[in-house]
Amino acid sequence: MNGPGELTLTSIVLFTLGAYGIAAGAATGEQGVVAVGVFAFALFVLGIVWPTVMLSGVEIDAWVPADGTVGQSHDVHVRLHGRVDRVELRVLDPQGQWWVTASPAHGVIPRIPTRRGVCSSLRIELRTSAPLGVFVRSRVLRVQLPTEQAVAPRPSAAPAGSDMTAHRLYERMADATISVTSTAVPGTGDSVRAVRPYVPGDPARLVHWPTSARRGTLVVREHEPPGVVGVALVVDLNSSDDVEAIASRAAGIGRATLAAGGAVWCCTSEATGPVSVRVVDMRDLGRRLARAGAGPVGAPPAGWPVVTVQA
Amino acid sequence: MSDRTRRSEPLWRRGSPWRVVAAPVAIALAAVGAIAAGRVGLPLPIGALAGAVAALLGVFALPSLSTRRVVVVLLGLAGLGALRHASYAGSDTSPLLVCWAGATLVALLLVDRTGAEQVHPLPQGAPLARRTGEVVRRSITTAVIVAVAVVALGPTLTDHLGRHVWPGLDPSVGAIENAPSSLQATDELDMTQRPRLSNRVVFTVDAPRGEFWRGETFDVWNGHAWTQSDPTATALPHDGDTTTITPEPDDVGATTGQPMRQTFHLEGYSDIIFAAPSPVSVETDRLVEQRADGTASVVDGFGNGATYTVTSRSVRSTAASLRATNALPVPDAVRRQYAQPPVTTERVRALARRITASAPTTYDKIRALESWLGAHVRYSINAPLSPKGVDVVDDFLFRSRVGWCEQVATSLVVMARSVGIPSRLATGFVPGSRDGLTGEFTVRERDAHAWAEIYFPGVGWQPFDPTASVPLAGDAATSGSWLATARHNAIGFGLLAATLVLAAVAAPDLFARFRRRRVRRHSSWAARRLARLERIGRRAGRPRVPAETPYEYAAALAVHLNDPRICSVGETLDTDGFSVAGASPSARAAADAVLSSLSP
Repeated sequence: MNGPGELTLTSIVLFTLGAYGIAAGAATGEQGVVAVGVFAFALFVLGIVWPTVMLSGVEIDAWVPADGTVGQSHDVHVRLHGRVDRVELRVLDPQGQWWVTASPAHGVIPRIPTRRGVCSSLRIELRTSAPLGVFVRSRVLRVQLPTEQAVAPRPSAAPAGSDMTAHRLYERMADATISVTSTAVPGTGDSVRAVRPYVPGDPARLVHWPTSARRGTLVVREHEPPGVVGVALVVDLNSSDDVEAIASRAAGIGRATLAAGGAVWCCTSEATGPVSVRVVDMRDLGRRLARAGAGPVGAPPAGWPVVTVQA
Repeated sequence: MSDRTRRSEPLWRRGSPWRVVAAPVAIALAAVGAIAAGRVGLPLPIGALAGAVAALLGVFALPSLSTRRVVVVLLGLAGLGALRHASYAGSDTSPLLVCWAGATLVALLLVDRTGAEQVHPLPQGAPLARRTGEVVRRSITTAVIVAVAVVALGPTLTDHLGRHVWPGLDPSVGAIENAPSSLQATDELDMTQRPRLSNRVVFTVDAPRGEFWRGETFDVWNGHAWTQSDPTATALPHDGDTTTITPEPDDVGATTGQPMRQTFHLEGYSDIIFAAPSPVSVETDRLVEQRADGTASVVDGFGNGATYTVTSRSVRSTAASLRATNALPVPDAVRRQYAQPPVTTERVRALARRITASAPTTYDKIRALESWLGAHVRYSINAPLSPKGVDVVDDFLFRSRVGWCEQVATSLVVMARSVGIPSRLATGFVPGSRDGLTGEFTVRERDAHAWAEIYFPGVGWQPFDPTASVPLAGDAATSGSWLATARHNAIGFGLLAATLVLAAVAAPDLFARFRRRRVRRHSSWAARRLARLERIGRRAGRPRVPAETPYEYAAALAVHLNDPRICSVGETLDTDGFSVAGASPSARAAADAVLSSLSP
């Protein structure tokens, strides 16, 4: 995939001088004028041919980490083959800044993904105007990555560090465009299961004063253990123009849940069909969400509190 | 390149990489300025100085414009100047043209290289080659390729595309009035007037070899002026752009000699068709007139830029071949017109007879006369004019013995006729200096010349230049002294001295301003720490982009080095640089600690 390149102001000047010199020389027969015109025209032609030829011999390999996140920088390792004194390169998708090096070379280009998805190739643009600056020859190479990269959505704001109850999720995450509905049972870990005699070290707030008064000795409450903390994320990307925001919201909920020690079951639709799997960490969740698309969503497991994220 | 990072910054900024470009640009414009000055007769240093100053002003004094664009535009203007003056570069200014080309090439290489240096280097990538090495290598390679192209294509393009006929611009009244007499046809050559000579280029000639570019001949001498026995000119019919000239019937060389084609490019008005003897055809779209002697002129004259091509024929003779013609009879018509006893004094005739007494052949007689002139007279363009009413040749040979080409050649013709040799005076120009680049002959006003033409039976008219064997007079020899040179270049030296004086006067102030700026830049704590941070960033492969504030740069560097402490350094720099109170001592100490840990 090649780009034509770009003529510079230098090329315009040289072409004008060359054309004028040759034309004037033809009109007057002056060899000196023709010589100057040929000089300028030769520089013009050389300035186009040189970078074109040199850049045509450059090939590039690239590899990236298997996981990425939208908005988070990662390194793209590139290796240039072919000899060029000076070549500039940048990563497209998204378009990054230019970097200059000599070739052959190995280097690292920072890249910040802007879109969720699975990336199996990368577009890298090369350009050079060496040595005369007459013509900026550019090539866009689509480089196949040895390992594809799953770009997870950027987790949107979530109550990280809070106790992860579905009830609170509902209260905090609902907004006008994305609905997060929960079937989870609200409130766990607050019910009194029994009382027992006080032992030194028990916090004073756990003392059950009515029972202590009846028995005449201090007793403290023992609470029910917390129930299952976790959610089954049903990520529905159908019928929406803002699937990225939905995926980000799902990532935010999953991250908050995982950060709180909860478990996350991810129900999505991928190219292979409905998917319903438990994810063990953010990387796993990110890979699932990276592959998520429109289609029938996998069914959540029975007994799990379900959080449906949809438009 | 269109990327914003390729844009330049003002050159006066300390460390600006674009400074190196100024030197070749100044050289390119200086070379073109010198060529232009040489064309108009000014000393070369004036043009060079003007060109260099213009280049430096253009590069340094236009901070609001992109330096890259300014440089390219200046190179373009220099190229236009080179095109304008390339046709009459001449051998003395061809090196300047080569200098322009070389400087232009180096400037282009440096501009592109410097632009590339504005782009961030690839982290962990291969560094660029050293600037000097790359520019030298690419200069040599490019120069070789371009030189081959110029040598291979230049003559071919000229031959195939070159127009050999062009009347030039319509001559104005001023151009006609200001044209030197050597370019205007006349019936009379007055020997009591001094010719005007200058360094101005009058025409260039594309010819395989240099010849005397003859314009007119004179055959009647009255003691103080030359005239033509038959001054009438006959308009010639032309076939398309080609006009055939009928040579003199007895000019054998014009019919049997080898042809030589010459293309003339005029740099001003002229109504004479100059050509190597003897012209047989002229390619021009103007009406050509011919005189009886075989010379030609053009009706209404040629304008500036006119181009015409002449084909001449002449016999390439040697001393032996000319001696061999002595046995052949001179045609009566030639003898009657060109060998009649001249108007001169008896002692001139006696001198001629005495000099040629021992010479057996016509050729030997002419050589003897040339030798005598070379031994007894001196050349000087500043020689005193002969008084009115006296025989110019007699006065020259027996009294002053100092003169210029017209007196010397006239003396040869008169003495030759005194011993019965058919001869006449020819005027025109010497071949001029050959351009080493294009091979063309550059002819200047100072190259105007007069010489003798001697008739040899079976060969025709042969030129003899007695002035070539005449040594310079004393006053001419002293003209090479440094005093004379200084006087000749007084304007140039004056401008140079004025520039040096101005520079000397302005230097202390400029130096003081530079020191103040330097002190301002390095006096504050924030400036010094910012410079240190920039050094750290450069070593880490993340130089500061000009548009980045210290805080932005510190944040970017923190990401690059994965060290969030650098962000606090940026905050401290901004606080110290832009708040009234400045950063607190503790914040400064913390920033110093971070910087020290990064670059002990």
